[in-house]
Amino acid sequence: MEKGSAMSLIIDKPAAPARQVPAKAAKRPAKRSGTPYAFLAPAMILFTLFLAAPIFYAGYLSLRKVQVSGLGLGAKSRTEVWAGLSNYARSLTDPDFLPSVLRVGAYGLIVVPTMLGLALLMALLLDAARTRESISKFARISIFLPYAVPAVVASLLWGFLYLPRVSPITDLFEAVGITAPNLLSSDLTLWAVANIAIWGGTGFNMIVIYTALRAVPTSLYESARIDGASDFTIAWRIKIPIVMPSLVMTFVFSLIATLQVFAEPMTLRPLANTISTTWTPLMKVYRDAFTRNDIYAAAATSVIIALATFIVSFGFLKLVGRRAFNQED
Amino acid sequence: MKTKYAPLMAALTAAALFTGTACSSSDSAEEVNPDEKVALTYWTWTPNMDKVVAAWNSANPNIQITVNKQDGGDPAVTKLLTAIKAGSGAPDIMQAEYQKIPTLVSSDAIADIAGEVGSLKDKFPEGSWNGVTLGSEAVYGVPQDSGPLMFFYRSDVFEKNGLAAPKTWDDYAAAAEKIHKADAKQYIGTFSATDAGLFTGLAQQAGASWWGVNGDAWSVNINDAATQKVASYWGGLVEKGVVDNKPMYTPEWNAALNDGTQVGWVSAVWAPGVLEGSAKDTKGKWKAAPMPQWDAASPATGNWGGSATSVTTQTKHKAQAAKFIAWLNSDPAALKLLATDANIYPAANDATSVLTTPPAFFSDQADYYTIAAEAAKATKPFTYGPNVNVAYSAFNDAFGKAAESKKAAAFTESLATIQQTTVDDLKNTGFNVAG
Amino acid sequence: MTTMTAKKQNRSTLATTLLILGAAYCLLPVLWVLIASSKSAGELFSTFTLAPSTHLWDNIVDLNNYRDGLYWRWMANTALYAGVGAAVSTLISAMAGFALAKFEFRGKSFVFNVILAGVLVPGVILAIPQYLLLAKVGMTNTYWAVLLPSFISPYGIYLARIFAAAAVPTEILEASRIDGAGDWRTFARVVLPMMRTGLVTVFLFQFVAVWNNFMLPYIMLGDDKLYPITVGLNGLLNQGANQPAMYTSVVTGALLSIIPLIALFLALQRYWQVDLAAGGVKA
Repeated sequence: MEKGSAMSLIIDKPAAPARQVPAKAAKRPAKRSGTPYAFLAPAMILFTLFLAAPIFYAGYLSLRKVQVSGLGLGAKSRTEVWAGLSNYARSLTDPDFLPSVLRVGAYGLIVVPTMLGLALLMALLLDAARTRESISKFARISIFLPYAVPAVVASLLWGFLYLPRVSPITDLFEAVGITAPNLLSSDLTLWAVANIAIWGGTGFNMIVIYTALRAVPTSLYESARIDGASDFTIAWRIKIPIVMPSLVMTFVFSLIATLQVFAEPMTLRPLANTISTTWTPLMKVYRDAFTRNDIYAAAATSVIIALATFIVSFGFLKLVGRRAFNQED
Repeated sequence: MKTKYAPLMAALTAAALFTGTACSSSDSAEEVNPDEKVALTYWTWTPNMDKVVAAWNSANPNIQITVNKQDGGDPAVTKLLTAIKAGSGAPDIMQAEYQKIPTLVSSDAIADIAGEVGSLKDKFPEGSWNGVTLGSEAVYGVPQDSGPLMFFYRSDVFEKNGLAAPKTWDDYAAAAEKIHKADAKQYIGTFSATDAGLFTGLAQQAGASWWGVNGDAWSVNINDAATQKVASYWGGLVEKGVVDNKPMYTPEWNAALNDGTQVGWVSAVWAPGVLEGSAKDTKGKWKAAPMPQWDAASPATGNWGGSATSVTTQTKHKAQAAKFIAWLNSDPAALKLLATDANIYPAANDATSVLTTPPAFFSDQADYYTIAAEAAKATKPFTYGPNVNVAYSAFNDAFGKAAESKKAAAFTESLATIQQTTVDDLKNTGFNVAG
Repeated sequence: MTTMTAKKQNRSTLATTLLILGAAYCLLPVLWVLIASSKSAGELFSTFTLAPSTHLWDNIVDLNNYRDGLYWRWMANTALYAGVGAAVSTLISAMAGFALAKFEFRGKSFVFNVILAGVLVPGVILAIPQYLLLAKVGMTNTYWAVLLPSFISPYGIYLARIFAAAAVPTEILEASRIDGAGDWRTFARVVLPMMRTGLVTVFLFQFVAVWNNFMLPYIMLGDDKLYPITVGLNGLLNQGANQPAMYTSVVTGALLSIIPLIALFLALQRYWQVDLAAGGVKA
């Protein structure tokens, strides 16, 4: 069903049904105007309680701090006071903060293009009719499978595969007489973490792109093929432009996930010397909140990360000029 | 639910709901009737603690304890502190590692039970008792177990290399070199940057005490001469390449224990349980020995691990909880259960009478608990401060980098970083810091 | 003509090879966990990594015996959190998505933008304030502490809006109204069935999201009888310095925990047709 609307784009018909709704709905009698609010109520109440309230609370906490007096061992020696913007100042001037931001930037540069590139390639291969059905089905399920593996478990599995002494990769290298690289050494850790994300995310993005490709009527390719276009040309000139909206959306969602990388490095951290407690900004939040018991600093860093995420993802959407995120014209 | 629920209204209602209930929660500790039936929750990560508690529950129908098993010391403390901040959600009784007690006290998470627990002071070694009183008149828990450092080694490999258990750290360094030279894959041990607790114990052995109380101010001495000596010693061994630089408690470390490439382990009295769980097939090849010494004439050791049992400030049944933890950690019957079922090394003086047979993994070594008792006696005093976790996470980061670089200089320089981070954190929170 | 067929053949072989390589890469860790869980504790760290052994059943028995079958309780808890959480979340998302797609009302774009902003907020950031707020009403360390926050999924609402816009023709709504059916009746009898395919996708999304969520239950729960599988396995792995990590149980547990999800995916395969962009291309 959802394929329908993508198709309407491709054959360049205006997406008629969806467009007519507002006009008609607006004409409906005023007495029924409460209905949409009623439908929205459960979502909005839960949203307020479990998303909005915690966010505002985090914002409040980011402006507070604990003040201890003396040795701090008496029962009531701890008081919470206003901190102004000092938590933000400390967060931004923390020498570990900028490196962790840059690291996540580099991580994103590795993960997003590689993952989406692989997803697009696999989707195009699946879509190419001449790939045998059984292999296509096997590949589709296999590549999608990692999506079912929670990031914590995935990192644990890959951790085993990375550690030189227990890794089959090392055995493989040694079998051909090369010293295996230590995947958790300082040069390669970033790639090792990126690999887990790519492994986990490629299948999902592949399905999204594949769904978009399948919605294209084959007649479109037939005529191109009669004109003598090669598979490569068809993919480049016809298929990729058609799935561009899907690519944009997968890009945005991948970007968001990338900026929030946490579970993978967190799980790998005890296995190696090369992942510090502030390896990514969210790990710093975790360290401040749970290891250092300073939820105020953690809240300030959280607010900074949330703002940065908004700016980057909305900025990107603005840049590509899509209205994907906004239903109003 | 009919109509008219504008989102804004919903938001306001919800917000009102929250603030309304927020005010109604209270945690006042009422006076209780001793015959009243109470149910208490107990957070611990010690395995089989439910079996020990079952013995109490059957004898004390009025004070029923439920064990909630935790995932180890750090997550449990995290949850407890969050619950304290939130005003509800904490258990009545909590296992607390000695190094966390100042943090828990300063966060008002665990209660002073001096009035409830009676006179237990004489039943425990002075060091353990200091750990729960922080040198004051208050009592913030009852010591449960201790973790004096010991040295464990593969006697078969040591024999093959003509080595005996190292008596001094010089012996240890020589053995490390000899073993690694004989077989480039073998190491006497590893320097683990993820185990701050062990390094603290090693510094303690050398005479360091990282925190201290000067009047009404804290002092921090992480970068002192004793710790410098320990850091430069291990940095030297790692730089030479005769000691490995990989973290412990990883699959790789397990593999090294199993395939005999790690042939020694500086650990604590509880090591047999870990060795049995990690490398069962090497049973019979390991031997326990006292720690290598800086000065063989005056033997000393440190602690790794060990914890007390505390009563949280959110309990409504402080007296009953205190009664239970006193029984748990000092009654000979309970000590026996702790040693046999929970496999811990009880801190109480009476423990020597119940620890007669060596742990199963060291069944050949009849003097196991004699060595342990000697070690426990030789434990040097050490004071923990209210931000041990800050120092420990700074340790992870700084020594992680140092271990990766394999430079002795980086090891000693790391201490200055940890010292700085720890002092800054104390000052920022408002603690008085001396110097 | 023959050269062209040969060329086609080659390309087909290349395509097939690439797909199989991709599949192999994705299956490698799964293969590893399958093999590793067949090894005894000693073998796990001593025999060649990809050499299978015969101890799978022993490992399952060990896991089963761990604290009287606690592992199965974790599995059941996970099914509860993910199943109930996703089902309720799907219904709520469907209602909200329907309202946003098919009605015109004041504050609509504000509501929609707020929900979209919600998509961007990472769970780690929410976990602590959520805990502090739930603790104020005494709900931490209960099933509700994990379930309630799982009921709301901004992403689910976003998808449901796309599906409602695409799958529910306005004419049918009008017809239903002319027949005198109320809005709720129309929603239950007409809209929900039409959105069915899309809603299964929303369900699966939220199911996976809850299944994967580590931080929320990790913070909220103090009693390990309430743990979901991810938190439980993590606990077996990190037991503190004086306890050995239970690697064989963790590996076996990881394998067993993936199986139900794989089964669910295979069973609902045809619903995995996600058109993220459908909502964004109409202008």
